[in-house]
Amino acid sequence: MKTQNGYVHLAKSAFEDFKRNKVRTALTSLGIMIGVLSVVLLIALGLGLKNYIESQFESMGANLIMILPGSGFTGEGGAGFGGAGTVGGVSFDERDVNSLKRVSEIDYVVPIFMKGTAVEGGGEKKYGYVMGTNEDGFKLMNVKPEAGELFTKSDIQASSKVGVLGNTMATDLFGSVDDAVGKTIRFEDLRFKVVGVGEKKGDQETDNAVFIPYKTTFGSLNPDKSFWSIYLGVKSDDMVTIAKTKAEEMLLKRYKADDFAVTEQSELLETINQIFSIINSVLVAIGSISLLVGGIGIMNIMYATVTERTKEVGIRRAVGATKSDILKQFLTESVLLSMFGGVLGLVLATIIVMIVRIFFPASINIFAVVITLVISSGIGIFFGVFPARRAANLPPIEAIRYE
Amino acid sequence: MIKLENVTKSYFLGDEEVKAVRDVNLEIKSKEFLGILGSSGSGKSTLMHIIGLLEQPTSGKILLEGNDISKLDDTELSKIRNRTVGFVFQSFNLINRFTVLENVLLPTKYVKGRLDYDPVAKAEDLLSRFGIYERRNFFPNKISGGQQQRVAIARALIMEPKIILADEPTGNLDSKTGDEIIDILKNLNKEFGVTVILVTHEHDIALKTKRQIYIKDGRVVEKYL
Repeated sequence: MKTQNGYVHLAKSAFEDFKRNKVRTALTSLGIMIGVLSVVLLIALGLGLKNYIESQFESMGANLIMILPGSGFTGEGGAGFGGAGTVGGVSFDERDVNSLKRVSEIDYVVPIFMKGTAVEGGGEKKYGYVMGTNEDGFKLMNVKPEAGELFTKSDIQASSKVGVLGNTMATDLFGSVDDAVGKTIRFEDLRFKVVGVGEKKGDQETDNAVFIPYKTTFGSLNPDKSFWSIYLGVKSDDMVTIAKTKAEEMLLKRYKADDFAVTEQSELLETINQIFSIINSVLVAIGSISLLVGGIGIMNIMYATVTERTKEVGIRRAVGATKSDILKQFLTESVLLSMFGGVLGLVLATIIVMIVRIFFPASINIFAVVITLVISSGIGIFFGVFPARRAANLPPIEAIRYE
Repeated sequence: MIKLENVTKSYFLGDEEVKAVRDVNLEIKSKEFLGILGSSGSGKSTLMHIIGLLEQPTSGKILLEGNDISKLDDTELSKIRNRTVGFVFQSFNLINRFTVLENVLLPTKYVKGRLDYDPVAKAEDLLSRFGIYERRNFFPNKISGGQQQRVAIARALIMEPKIILADEPTGNLDSKTGDEIIDILKNLNKEFGVTVILVTHEHDIALKTKRQIYIKDGRVVEKYL
């Protein structure tokens, strides 16, 4: 006849005690719960932000080179996406676009002019971005028409007053994408005919944009005939480095090296990843402080429990419990206590992340779940082992006489 | 069955060495019903703890069925305690957060290996033998002292030990209930041949055993004074 499984007895004994000290158990677990909650949430938000930005860049396609004024992303005065908000450096113009087109490794060159403005149409008014670009700009930003069509090379040559609306911009102004096509929009005292609406992209900038031929901006919108930035599509992966060098050489004929920056998409992603891994580590380190405090709370309670149960330890030793049996008993309790808090924290974090997802692509992955369980049981063991050892090393006779 | 050879146990109280048990030679035979009689502070409890393997002697040998166990480590001693010895204490020493039945089953949780009987059936059998089966799901603080001591005896017996060590088992009970407990111990010795060692300071209780030894100042003396 096999005896009752020892671990069942250990867990049962632990749960009996939790049941008897509900408030104490809840408060002790709360410390770990808050710790796990903050660590998991911070990881989830950090990962979400990183994924969001990565996907933004990936949607623009690979083999991409960015030319930005100033020292670009890698140095001081770094520029944002599309160059908006850039301080210093030069402005590029059509001459640069044409000379870059002569580099044989380059497939297409996209000039970007960008301006935030209020757009009127369909009796509504909405703030968005006017983006002057060429027909390859749609390829670059991966914009496909959902209704109507995109403007063409001839629209650019003719400086036609036509525009392609971002999906959100179209629905906000005209109710639906189909209703937008053929209508007139107005901004900065200019009237444009809507020829098409792009598919929904999921990013604010593109969905709220009005794309117009870059030559059409030359006038009251863009009197300098300049661009914020120029994007280069390279013919294939292995040509990116050559194309980058050639583009740099080309621009150095006109500008000083400090006035512009030529950046590969992969370099940019790397820089962003570096920044995010630093931010993430700092956030997790801050979150870990609460985990540490939670662990100390567990240790404190376990010491109290050991003292409270000194006599019980003596009795158990008298009926044949070894030191390691006693050690296991108290460790089981601290690990269960800690894991209880950990699982609770994880559940709460999952709920919060699911709510946050409505606004922001935060994500909890299986890795976070496993790490949480490992860390919370690790805390249980680490902070439980000292009290448990004290219990195990109690001399049986002294323990049994303890009142 | 158990033989103590020149067993001494000393403690240090500050710098002063206190000898609780001095040079004791004692042989306890199988199936004996032995009374250890001594006044408080005589060292009788320490001697009982040494016999029950709860404490190890400072010097001397303990032979259990011919094997020297005085040099075994804590784990080995715990195993022997689990299988061979059953304790009954003055203050019952039941765990109040466990039910009567769970208390009786406690030693079976520490069995290394297998039992050749069903522990629950065995525990219930013991509880009905002592007339407290109906109380099996009660918590110890909800039953009387006499009942608690019966639970403690059932716990001491669950592993079918060779020796029962009872340390002042009647100390917290009225004389009638105390007599009942002594009768139970007597029966265990008579019917099942369990070696029972009864430690007490009461002369008339010691006289209910078959053989008595007297302890004074840590020594076994011929006559109790």
